[in-house]
Amino acid sequence: MSSMKISKDPYNIIITGVGGQGNVLASRILANMFVENNFFVTIGESFGASQRGGSVMSHLRISKESCYSPQIPKGLADIIVSLEPIEAIRVLLDYGNSDIKVLSNSRPVRPPGVIAGDMNYPSLDEIKISLKELSSDVWIIDATEKAVEMGNPILGNIIMLGALAGVSDLPLYKDDFQKVMSRNISSDKIDINLQAYDLGSDMVNQ
Amino acid sequence: MSFLMDNTEKARYLLLGNEAIARGALEAGVNVASGYPGTPSSEIIESLSKIAKDANIYVEWSTNEKVAMEVAAAASFAGLRSMCVMKQNGVNVGSDFLLHLAGSGTRGGMVIVPCEDPGALSSVNEGESRYFAKLFEIPLLEPGDFQEVKDMTKWAFELSEKINNFVMLRSVTRFSHASGNVTYGDIIKRDINAQFKYDGFILDPMEGLPISAPVEYKHSEQQKKLKQAAEIFEKSPFNTYTGVKKPELLVITSSACNLYCKEAIQLLGAEDKVGLLKLGTTWPLPQGLLKTHLSETKKVLIVEEVLPFMEENIKVVALEMAGEIGNKIFYGKNDNTLPKVGELNPDIVTQALSKILNLKYEQRSDEYIKKAQNIVLTKAPHRELTFCPGCPHRSSYWSIHNALKLDGRKGFVCGDIGCYSLAFLPCGFSTLKTLHSMGSGTGLASGFGKLKQFGFAQSVLAVCGDSTFFHTAMPALVNAVHHKSDFTLIILDNSGTAMTGFQPHPGLKSNAMGEEVPSIDIAKICVAMGAKVRVQDPFDLENTQKQLLDLMEYKEGVKVMILRQICALSPEKKAKKKYEMSIDENKCIGENCGCNRLCTRIFRCPGLEWDAKANVARIDDVICRGCGVCADICPGKAINKKEAA
Amino acid sequence: MGFLGPNELTENVIQKNLCIGCGACMNLCPYFRSYRCKTAMLFPCTVSEGRCASFCPKIEVDLDYLSKQYFGNLFGASSLGHNISIMISQKGKKIKNHTFQAGGTVSALISFALKKKYISSAILTDREGLLPIPRIITKDEDVFKCASTKYAAAPTLSALNTAIGKGHSQIGVVGTPCQTTAIAQMRTTQSTNKDPVGMVIGLFCTWALDYTQLEPFISQQIETNKILKFDILPPPAEIMEIYTTDGKKHEISLDKIRKFIPATCSYCADMTSEFSDISVGVLEGYPDKNTLIIRSEKGKMLVDEAEKEGYIIVDEIPEKSLEHLKTAARQKRKRALLKAKEDGLLNATEDGKFSCIKLNSLSIEKITA
Repeated sequence: MSSMKISKDPYNIIITGVGGQGNVLASRILANMFVENNFFVTIGESFGASQRGGSVMSHLRISKESCYSPQIPKGLADIIVSLEPIEAIRVLLDYGNSDIKVLSNSRPVRPPGVIAGDMNYPSLDEIKISLKELSSDVWIIDATEKAVEMGNPILGNIIMLGALAGVSDLPLYKDDFQKVMSRNISSDKIDINLQAYDLGSDMVNQ
Repeated sequence: MSFLMDNTEKARYLLLGNEAIARGALEAGVNVASGYPGTPSSEIIESLSKIAKDANIYVEWSTNEKVAMEVAAAASFAGLRSMCVMKQNGVNVGSDFLLHLAGSGTRGGMVIVPCEDPGALSSVNEGESRYFAKLFEIPLLEPGDFQEVKDMTKWAFELSEKINNFVMLRSVTRFSHASGNVTYGDIIKRDINAQFKYDGFILDPMEGLPISAPVEYKHSEQQKKLKQAAEIFEKSPFNTYTGVKKPELLVITSSACNLYCKEAIQLLGAEDKVGLLKLGTTWPLPQGLLKTHLSETKKVLIVEEVLPFMEENIKVVALEMAGEIGNKIFYGKNDNTLPKVGELNPDIVTQALSKILNLKYEQRSDEYIKKAQNIVLTKAPHRELTFCPGCPHRSSYWSIHNALKLDGRKGFVCGDIGCYSLAFLPCGFSTLKTLHSMGSGTGLASGFGKLKQFGFAQSVLAVCGDSTFFHTAMPALVNAVHHKSDFTLIILDNSGTAMTGFQPHPGLKSNAMGEEVPSIDIAKICVAMGAKVRVQDPFDLENTQKQLLDLMEYKEGVKVMILRQICALSPEKKAKKKYEMSIDENKCIGENCGCNRLCTRIFRCPGLEWDAKANVARIDDVICRGCGVCADICPGKAINKKEAA
Repeated sequence: MGFLGPNELTENVIQKNLCIGCGACMNLCPYFRSYRCKTAMLFPCTVSEGRCASFCPKIEVDLDYLSKQYFGNLFGASSLGHNISIMISQKGKKIKNHTFQAGGTVSALISFALKKKYISSAILTDREGLLPIPRIITKDEDVFKCASTKYAAAPTLSALNTAIGKGHSQIGVVGTPCQTTAIAQMRTTQSTNKDPVGMVIGLFCTWALDYTQLEPFISQQIETNKILKFDILPPPAEIMEIYTTDGKKHEISLDKIRKFIPATCSYCADMTSEFSDISVGVLEGYPDKNTLIIRSEKGKMLVDEAEKEGYIIVDEIPEKSLEHLKTAARQKRKRALLKAKEDGLLNATEDGKFSCIKLNSLSIEKITA
């Protein structure tokens, strides 16, 4: 499958969420799916304070031509995959544009200030409206809910990857996903991950 | 077998920059790797630890960076290849040794790898180690993409052996913690027989004495080595030029800025106007190469981070050859084309280029930006940094803060480096009042504790972590005890180097390679020094506060309180909850007089949430780690803890 | 009462050095605490109205209101406050010998009240070295370790708040004038169904001393854990006597001690603890007797019963002593009101300004004439 094409070169993906949600894991899996097909991939991340409740972002640059910088230029992200809804809003400030696509998990991870009762967390409707104002297409799915039903909240990240495959024109295929996962997890866990991946694609194709 | 050891020809992997450095060292046949945990460098040692046995490498988390450098140097003197790894300011810690090592020279290839943090994404400084290369007169290498990160690490060992001196290879967060495609090279097989030869002629670099004296002689030898490197650099494939022969603007760059410059040029469509000279060898500068390119242009923009290191060095070179190449117009940091602080990114470089070349660039409408700003203000509540749920520091600082308030003498805490540094924020009740480098909290306290003769009447406390204690707090503590300084040091012992990823340190029973090793007892050391020592569990708030107040009553000498409780993120702790927590709504006083939401408003553990509709606090079972401490602070006794099954 | 909360308490009492450290605001919540007699606020509290400020005897104390609530009349008539009778007293035969300040009347009455279960617990002030320590006493034999004057201003009411928090009722309290005023504030502003305080015995007081300054001064000269008793001799002698367990008597000139009097004492108009059931003080010239003022029916009943059962002995007060007492009390009232007026702390009316004392102008005129 080395004649894979991307509609834009470089294609810029941002995976965002809250530290500890599995941002890094998701970006690695996604990146390796492209590496399978001989793309140049750069992932830019900053960790360190992420475990202590901070927002985290991974910038993925996908290109057929060359290696790109680990930071996406302002306003040039093509798609946001957000594991947490308000992080999607936050990312749009610096990296959004009117053509951007937004795919977000619905489950809130409330900041300490909200939990403490000092700030308000917007409703899902308000979030939807905000995202729609700053993008061209928005999908919000209950990835964590479904993952919990399947038995493990971390599967939420896999569902999001499947959903990404469903909403974008990126060359993301299930057998590449399977190849990448087989290298990193034991064979008895592959099935449930594949199920999660499929579920994600299904959820956005309704 | 680890992916790092894959010896398939031209294997291709997506690697973290730090993994690429580890692979480069492996390919060079590195034998010894040492370092001290520091973001963004830590994964280098961690990667090598995982393959240490299989690859026969000795990997060590040393007590501090200076010792780490000495450990690596010993290996080099014994004819082995060694690498020493740290974050940017680790070089500062070991700089005295490096000064002398540069004079004595090295034998087996030795590479120092500072991983810098422009923009201080995970630091409290954005210091630079490049100037040290110039100061120590040793070569400096800066890889400009992920492939070079690996290739240049490998080559650095070769270079070091050619000139008999150590080499500095500089990485940055945007390489070390970023990932990119890397094609593997061969793993060199070297015959090794570790032996420290010293019986030859005293001045012989390989068989004499590795000392920096006689100074003038060794110093001039050192400068000859540097000159040798400069000649090698003239032909280095790591210095590349892309662009037309006579560009309107010559951009000279290094490190991750290379990728920003490439992208900026592309975004502006300025390939015909801009020539990009990427230097991988940034000290000593390849003057011949520079002359070639400087002669072909009038305008030069130098793009680097953070300080104008290359800019100022290139300007000197350009001035010296001005007679031959003419005067140039320089753009960079000194003329404010580029910001003097913080990290760079493609946008900053694009803006600089568009200004110099008068090219328009607008990626988004002002309208979009304004709309986004308004929305983020109201719909994206800020995420404050906080301690993890179940973190012992939250409890420690609770007791420390309250003890200081009760003591009532305008007391304060001198802070140090680790997760517990966050206590200058509300999550630590704004207890820390100073924060500098590793071990400096104890040093400052030692100083404050001697100011009574000038009317100083405030209570002095200092904090440090268990790893920080061994790193540099110990000599400061000796100083304090010996000089009878009046303060209390609180050692926050959570059994690991937590902020950087929970690496081991001498207080623990295992090392970087997972072997069992003797642990060193912090309490015993402090007692041996002659301090008054107490050990306490910080989760026991009442006794911690009481003990601390008792210690603070001693007006003479050093007191040490060790607050020992394991980190909430440690593998042991993560597995099990000690308590199941619940709230009796009927007893919750909430916003009323008598409580005013103490648990959610002040204590602020993320496991406690305020339900504004029902006017009660709740436990979030998913986030709560079951430490049980909140039950002890609730004035209504509404929080219950039950031992988990 | 108007919005008085932790903000007003911090800004207008604590930060203005008006806090006497009586403990009325402490242990009601996690925020106000006392440590070694220093008032500390652990964290900021944002409620607009709080018990801490309502109970404080140094902010917005309406003396007329309190007098009406307690005794049914306006404040000011007698310089010794509302009373049923004034006598002299001393401990009775049933009370063993102990180091009492004077006649042992307070210890006798409180231990009797506990024994007869008129009160179920007593809030008293003990001492370790020079440090006063509030205690919740439930056994009558434990009363005696709290005997004798402490002189250092003590956070006694913090123990009262703790006791109420634990569900105690029918509590007896022995306190200084500021403390008994605070208790009066507490009982008249709290809309509780049941009044947890059963008996208030107030002490006479001209001024108190700041422990944080007193302690370093005294401990330089005397081993404080050997102190048996302090006494301040009546004027014109300007001496504080300190008796130690080794049989010595140390004399310290009062002019060295006066600088430890908290500034806030100068705004206190109450010498004899006017808001109490019974008030007890020394009887000048008679070192083993007390002056006893009975103010309420409850107090009268306690004294009568105690006398009947041999716990105290009462007698008529000599005319000269009574006049002397009235003069001293009158002078304290006058000094305090004048100073409060001068410093804008009497009946303050400006927005954002708070009074220490509120009192009808007629009484003010009479007292300050």
